[in-house]
Amino acid sequence: MRSIILVAAREYRQIAATRGFWVMLLVLPVVIGISQVAGRYFRPPLDSAYVLVDQSGQYDSAIDRRLLLNYQRVELGAFSAYVQRWNLSSVDPDAVWAKGERWFPDAQVEQFLSNGGIEAAWSRVAPAKPREAPDYEIDPPAYIRAPLPAGVVASAGPEAFAEGLAGPLGGGEIDTPLGRRPLALAVWIPPEINDASPVRMWTNGAPNNTLVDNVRNEVTRIQRARALQASGLAPDVVEGIANITTPIRLSAPPQGAGREQVAIRSALPLAMVYLLLVTVMTTGSMMLQSVIEERSNKLLESILATVHPSQLMYGKLLGLGAIGLTILGVWVGAAVGAALSVQGVVADIVKPSLSAIEPWMFGAMLFYFFSGYLIISMLYLAIGALSNSLQDAQAYLMPVIMIIMLPVVFMMVSVLQQPNGVFPVLMSWIPLYTPFAMLARLGAGVDFIEVIGTGVMLAAFVALEMILLGRLFQASLLRTGQPPKLGAFLAMMLGKNTG
Amino acid sequence: MAILKLDHVVKCFGDFTAVDDLTFEVPEGGIFGFLGGNGAGKTTSLRMALDIIRPTSGTIEILGRRPGRENAAEIGFLPEERGLYRRMTVIDTIVYFGRLKGMDAATAKKEAQRLIERFGLGGWTKVAVEKLSKGMSQKVQVAAAMVNRPRLLILDEPFSGLDPVNQKVLEDLVLETARAGSTVVFSTHIMQHAERLTNRLVLLARGRTVFEGTQEEARAQLPSRLTLVSEADPSSLPGVAFARRTKGAEGWASWDVSLMAGATPGDLLQTCTRTGFALRGFESHRPSLHEVFIHLVGSSQETPS
Repeated sequence: MRSIILVAAREYRQIAATRGFWVMLLVLPVVIGISQVAGRYFRPPLDSAYVLVDQSGQYDSAIDRRLLLNYQRVELGAFSAYVQRWNLSSVDPDAVWAKGERWFPDAQVEQFLSNGGIEAAWSRVAPAKPREAPDYEIDPPAYIRAPLPAGVVASAGPEAFAEGLAGPLGGGEIDTPLGRRPLALAVWIPPEINDASPVRMWTNGAPNNTLVDNVRNEVTRIQRARALQASGLAPDVVEGIANITTPIRLSAPPQGAGREQVAIRSALPLAMVYLLLVTVMTTGSMMLQSVIEERSNKLLESILATVHPSQLMYGKLLGLGAIGLTILGVWVGAAVGAALSVQGVVADIVKPSLSAIEPWMFGAMLFYFFSGYLIISMLYLAIGALSNSLQDAQAYLMPVIMIIMLPVVFMMVSVLQQPNGVFPVLMSWIPLYTPFAMLARLGAGVDFIEVIGTGVMLAAFVALEMILLGRLFQASLLRTGQPPKLGAFLAMMLGKNTG
Repeated sequence: MAILKLDHVVKCFGDFTAVDDLTFEVPEGGIFGFLGGNGAGKTTSLRMALDIIRPTSGTIEILGRRPGRENAAEIGFLPEERGLYRRMTVIDTIVYFGRLKGMDAATAKKEAQRLIERFGLGGWTKVAVEKLSKGMSQKVQVAAAMVNRPRLLILDEPFSGLDPVNQKVLEDLVLETARAGSTVVFSTHIMQHAERLTNRLVLLARGRTVFEGTQEEARAQLPSRLTLVSEADPSSLPGVAFARRTKGAEGWASWDVSLMAGATPGDLLQTCTRTGFALRGFESHRPSLHEVFIHLVGSSQETPS
């Protein structure tokens, strides 16, 4: 065991001393960090401005109100999810944001707004939030009404109005109460709306359908009410008709349950499939280079005088495994750290994913991960022992990688659509692909008996591979000359002396 | 006691027999030469002694035990094909091999420092091996082989690739190691090194032992040769196998004389004195190991350098 650890430590130190290792190790944390910093400090404002001139005086306040309601609805939805995620409903169990609902009709949003809207809700919840919970970030409104710029005369007609806004509408920005913003829409409502005198709208070339729809719907609603009044209906009846909304109650599983639960539970196992692929391919190629270096440097004989070939093999596997674990640990640590320190997509997925996984799944995930690591590492090790140079190795490596990667890629696509479909299930029972298929399917719910069955087969396959490829590795270490042919391969694996 | 013993050892690679019924013993102490031409089976035999490969049949004893890594703590080995981890420093390399041989870290480091100074590599202790010259790299390899102060030091073609200065350094080191009590076994196909260093030797050809014994016993395998300056033809003298005139036609002439097996130059000189055979010159030639090698192995074997 001492020799194995010494070999492993040397392998680890040699790889850890390379620049490539550090680049690989730090690439993900740096990307996460940059994305967080960039997202927080360099994110371009996603909100835009609109200018509204209402010559009739009947629509502009209704349009502004509609946009305000919609903005508060979006915030209410996000805030409700935040409250659920951090278990803060008890702060005010009767509040509209405390019930974990997904859909909020106008009446609820109006109530929310009358209670002070998102600012008031956050002020109420903030003192009670747990220490580890990040602050809720209130986004600015998506559409900000800009005052009419100086020099633009509304009463001079739509053409003059549009001409006065030609600059901002040509791609420039306009002053708003929240700073300068791109002008997404300019609206001119005539004193009397009819076919000859329509509502005019101008966009900056990036039409915002939501904004246009909001304006159109609100104008249409008021117009219909006026038409109904003109037909002789009493104003209170008209108002009643105008305010009719279809009562809808959208039922969905609680947050983190149902299909969402499957997605959340699958997030970590699926991430481990990708991590497995990336780490094993990377560290595998490092292992390959290490063996080829020992062969081409002709130092194997010195090593083999003190270390048995099997100890050398296990030492390499252990050292490279430790390298893989280091990469995995740093990457997962960075992801979890990001999840716990910020809110957003990472926190939405990683934290619930971690809490959704049952304890036995962690054990299964680790088993499949390390089995997969071992299976592919052994292949790399054997190829390294067979090759005199990297060129030799590539000739073996290409078909091996194709045989592993292609079905796994297809299987991943299939798993996302149908985790328990025929193809992923079939792949689960082929030991070479078992780690990938089972990791990918774990979150979707796999019978325990399938976990045990595939686990036993996988363990047997790993043991057989260790024996056969171990023999190949040992027989190839001091071999010279051309890489062996198929018959020699088989003879070496069967332990026959081929010289 | 034999520190290394091979008994009827055979090693086949497929249809090819690399070592064929090889039997010899290396006594403890001194320097033992393991001689033979290219492909004679020297490296294969040493690999078997170190358990790097297993014999097809026969038995091997090393340090009184079966070959195996458990013997590594008492063995130093410098293979014919040498290499080092290019990115490891000089000291780390030597310490690593010391630790693989069972030394604790502190002792391995102390011993590595001693060898580094001994080999004049003091300024290169923490330099990566890839930055060393070939000669310096070879010194590091020798140091790695000797870091554990081995009871048995096995050197496979240790002088190949070394310049004359470094060959001399290594020769001195081999002698010093033997004086310190270690047994040194070294294989070579360069007979001059064997001549200068070995007490005993074994000579291999085509995987078989063709001679085992001391240098003198090896030389005795060849008929003695003399140069005589005499007036008469010495061919008829007792013990003379062959005489050929090399200088002078009449009167005093120089003769190249070969003696019969078992006859010594001393015997011939006594005969000349006793019989009154007139001599003006008498010079005995000691056969070199190179000549012994050629004589024993024959022209079919690839000749050594």
